Amino acid sequence: MIPAHVHPGPAAAPGLFGLVTVAGALLVTVLYQLAAARLRRRGDAWPRWRGASFTAGGAGVAWAAVGPLPGGPFTAHMVQHLITGMAAPLLLVLARPLTLALRALPPGPTRRGLPALAHSRAAGLLVFPPLAALLDVGGLWLLYRTGLFAATRHEPWLHAAVHTHVLAAGLLFTFAVSRLDPVRRRWSLALRGTTLLAAGAAHAVLAKTLYAAGPPGTAFTAADLHTGAQVMYYGGDLAEAALAVVVAASWYAATGRAWARERRTADTGPVPLPVTGAPAGR
Amino acid sequence: MSASAQPRTVPGAWTEPRRSMVVCGVIGLAVTAAIDEIVFHQILGWHHFYDRSTLAVGLLSDGLLHTAELLALVAGFFAYADLRRRRALAPAHAWAGFFLGAGVFQLFDGIVDHKLLRLHQIRYGVDIAPYDWAWNIAGLVLLLTGVVLAFRAARRGPAAAR
Repeated sequence: MIPAHVHPGPAAAPGLFGLVTVAGALLVTVLYQLAAARLRRRGDAWPRWRGASFTAGGAGVAWAAVGPLPGGPFTAHMVQHLITGMAAPLLLVLARPLTLALRALPPGPTRRGLPALAHSRAAGLLVFPPLAALLDVGGLWLLYRTGLFAATRHEPWLHAAVHTHVLAAGLLFTFAVSRLDPVRRRWSLALRGTTLLAAGAAHAVLAKTLYAAGPPGTAFTAADLHTGAQVMYYGGDLAEAALAVVVAASWYAATGRAWARERRTADTGPVPLPVTGAPAGR
Repeated sequence: MSASAQPRTVPGAWTEPRRSMVVCGVIGLAVTAAIDEIVFHQILGWHHFYDRSTLAVGLLSDGLLHTAELLALVAGFFAYADLRRRRALAPAHAWAGFFLGAGVFQLFDGIVDHKLLRLHQIRYGVDIAPYDWAWNIAGLVLLLTGVVLAFRAARRGPAAAR
């Protein structure tokens, strides 16, 4: 156990937790790349950028856990929070890890178990977008507006637990809103968009209140607090805009396919022509 | 939305004037909001990140407005790209919508945010009357431009709007 100590920087120095995080990130990245290689060996297409995105996400998680972070203690914490809770989850989710796993796993109990898990009632409830948003942004309000944040700076295990929650909730929220991987229920664009709006607003409001007053039980300098709050505010905007682009782009692709289909049947009257391989975009 | 589509009996008359106007209105609104945010908040720093007086509701509305503007920008441009792709864009209606949206935001910001909720003012430490007049008159000009363009677009009809 690391003794409680006071030093400028994230509460837990690269200790056991940091090393475990780095090892975990390395392990899942290697597994992802092996699975992608397996798909390609048997002739399936799996875009390279997805592998790059997953690797960047894994590297982000590892860096946020152990790497040197800029600014004063609160700013450094906020940069860590942004990478772990927003940037890395987006990069990891964009790589569609569940789809890859479902396609790459060899026949056996794991291959049968994974879809069962993904389609289970509990998983379906968790990826209900408003609940995922509540777990994610609600957790942040708890962290910064109760004594929890001050406590994490003295208890390394609590810091590790909060850090893990931020990553897990960020993954869950990104996963639920972007809906790139197959899950139990396909929630509508309107619900996912409204959820993103509400979560983004709650995040922006929290950042603004942090600018005015730091978390209870902490004493950061005003400059550090202001920089950290601004990092949270504008960094949150960036992550949210990126997620919105992902959602809108998948809407654009889906409506394009539907429109091309509709036009093919409208042009040819009641009897559809055989598919001639016309590009879906036009 | 799809109810505003023209009957597809005449070849080429596939434009959707009402949808064009709504989509570009959303873009106009979001672009003006983004210009306000980027130029006045971030570059000039006239009114700042946190200028709240006391209202918690004001803070919440500000956060919602800010997030909505960002999402509207993304959604608006993708919806616009969809209209272009389907050759359904009615340009005259689209321009009218853009100016209407821009004017509505500018006036809303100038009257509701600045004056009614008093979230922030345009500048501090100076007489803000000329700024307020300039801000709101600019908004009114944008709005009236949109109204004139909308009437012209409506008179010329959807066929001439191509």
